[in-house]
Amino acid sequence: MKDRGIWRVIVIALFLTFMIVPFLATVLFSISVRWDRTIFPEGLTLEWWDKVTSRSAFETTLTNSFIVSFATMFALAILVTPTAYWAHVRVPRGKPFIEFLTIIPFGIPGVVLALALIRFYSTVPLPLINTPNILVAACMVIALPFMYRPVANALDAIDVHVLTEAAQSLGAGLWQTMIRVIVPNIMPGIVSGCLLVFSTVFAEFTLANLLVGTRFKTFPIYLVEFTRFDGRQASALAVISFVIAWLTSLLIIGIAGRGARPAESLGAR
Amino acid sequence: MTKVGVNARKSKARLAWLGLMPFFLFGIAFEIIPVLTLARSSLMDKGVLTLAQFERALTPLFIESFRNSIQLSAATALLGVVFGTIVAHAIVTTRNQFVRDAITALADVTTNFGGAPLAFAFIVILGSTGVVTLILQTIGINLYPTTFRIYSIQGLTVAYLYFQLPLMILLVIPSLLGLRREWREAAINLGASPMQYWLRVALPILAPSLLGGFLLLFANAFGAYATAWTLTGPDVNLVTVQIAALVRGEVQLDPALADALAMLSLGVMTLCVAGYQWLGGRAHKGAR
Repeated sequence: MKDRGIWRVIVIALFLTFMIVPFLATVLFSISVRWDRTIFPEGLTLEWWDKVTSRSAFETTLTNSFIVSFATMFALAILVTPTAYWAHVRVPRGKPFIEFLTIIPFGIPGVVLALALIRFYSTVPLPLINTPNILVAACMVIALPFMYRPVANALDAIDVHVLTEAAQSLGAGLWQTMIRVIVPNIMPGIVSGCLLVFSTVFAEFTLANLLVGTRFKTFPIYLVEFTRFDGRQASALAVISFVIAWLTSLLIIGIAGRGARPAESLGAR
Repeated sequence: MTKVGVNARKSKARLAWLGLMPFFLFGIAFEIIPVLTLARSSLMDKGVLTLAQFERALTPLFIESFRNSIQLSAATALLGVVFGTIVAHAIVTTRNQFVRDAITALADVTTNFGGAPLAFAFIVILGSTGVVTLILQTIGINLYPTTFRIYSIQGLTVAYLYFQLPLMILLVIPSLLGLRREWREAAINLGASPMQYWLRVALPILAPSLLGGFLLLFANAFGAYATAWTLTGPDVNLVTVQIAALVRGEVQLDPALADALAMLSLGVMTLCVAGYQWLGGRAHKGAR
């Protein structure tokens, strides 16, 4: 039983290499003068970072991505939290329907969702098609499970009925109960839901590209444009995306622990 | 209780459903109706119910796109299941708590990662002038131009594994933790070799989770678009790439054709996700 551990070390080392090398290589590439002829970079420079971040499109696209991410996050938090609470205390029989609607997004590829929304909303006289509004609505659909799961889990973990009755026997109305009593108690669930939504939407390329395209350029669209045009500047943008995605995920793990993420989570592919 | 009281309570319960209306309206407006619109227009031509659109969708180009998408999804799902389970087994059996937590966290962080930055990272290491390509060249292995290209289905297979592996690891860890040490000891005491234990005891118990994982990974790859688009552009013929091209009107505008393709891919995805849900229920029952 002595050398039983060796296979484990090899397996874990290989896995770590596969997961970390692409990231490290991109970082190094973004600060290399040239790294396409030799095994080691030909000198280091911050020129590409300087160039790419000084463009006005850099700021615009970054801002646009933040706008869409935050709008989606807030809209989902406001839609999902009261619904989950209400279903929990008053309409438990409504839960299967809610869960059905939160599973559907897993089965719809981004391109199909975009197509379906364009098909229907181009026939409806609402200010949706070709605007950031439709992008936010589409992002809400794909991020719905990420908001609902953590909030529902948080509700399951506390005694909602006792808290509600206690608050109401002390004279609190419905909204007061929810905002002053329930929300503080499920805050970790709401926050990790928000962060999951943020990281999913921030990296979303498919929906942004097909629904609004160049009319409202987001950061991933900017990055894809650069991969065709200047690899070294693109690498700086890729590093920024990596860092934002990883930081948000680490925050989620820090706040809610593992398991906040729905196991079947499918992100921005 | 009086009859009036019962009725009042019933109508109150019905009123309570109204509280869920905003959520249901959102789901109906942005999930149900758009998808039904697609379904209808894929089946209707000038007001007549027909399968003609689907027949038209079965051109060699689109058949090939389905073949490519299915092959890519099956290959990355299979590799993801096999290697993900091996890595997950290494993680759950290690005694070092820090290693266990750190690698699980890494899987958690990376499984949510894909799309353009991922594709670009793989160009940096495995592109025609990538660092791994150059290193392999110095030891006499020439990937380009014939052995391997990152801008191809082979390349996509490698890149997709970057999010498939961690997803499988996260999915299978709970089932691996459910394997009791006593089962292994009992099998060994009864004279089974470790190999026999795995084949006759552990794998049958794990089967529903492994199959469920395969289906979910398959769906994950089948619906992916951003990574493929960044890495290969229109060069690789995948279902999602074809649908996106039809949406953008790059190819001649043919709405009904895009709808038919979309419905076919929706069918594949629904089968996978429904299968996963069903197996998930079974796996949980087994664990109890």
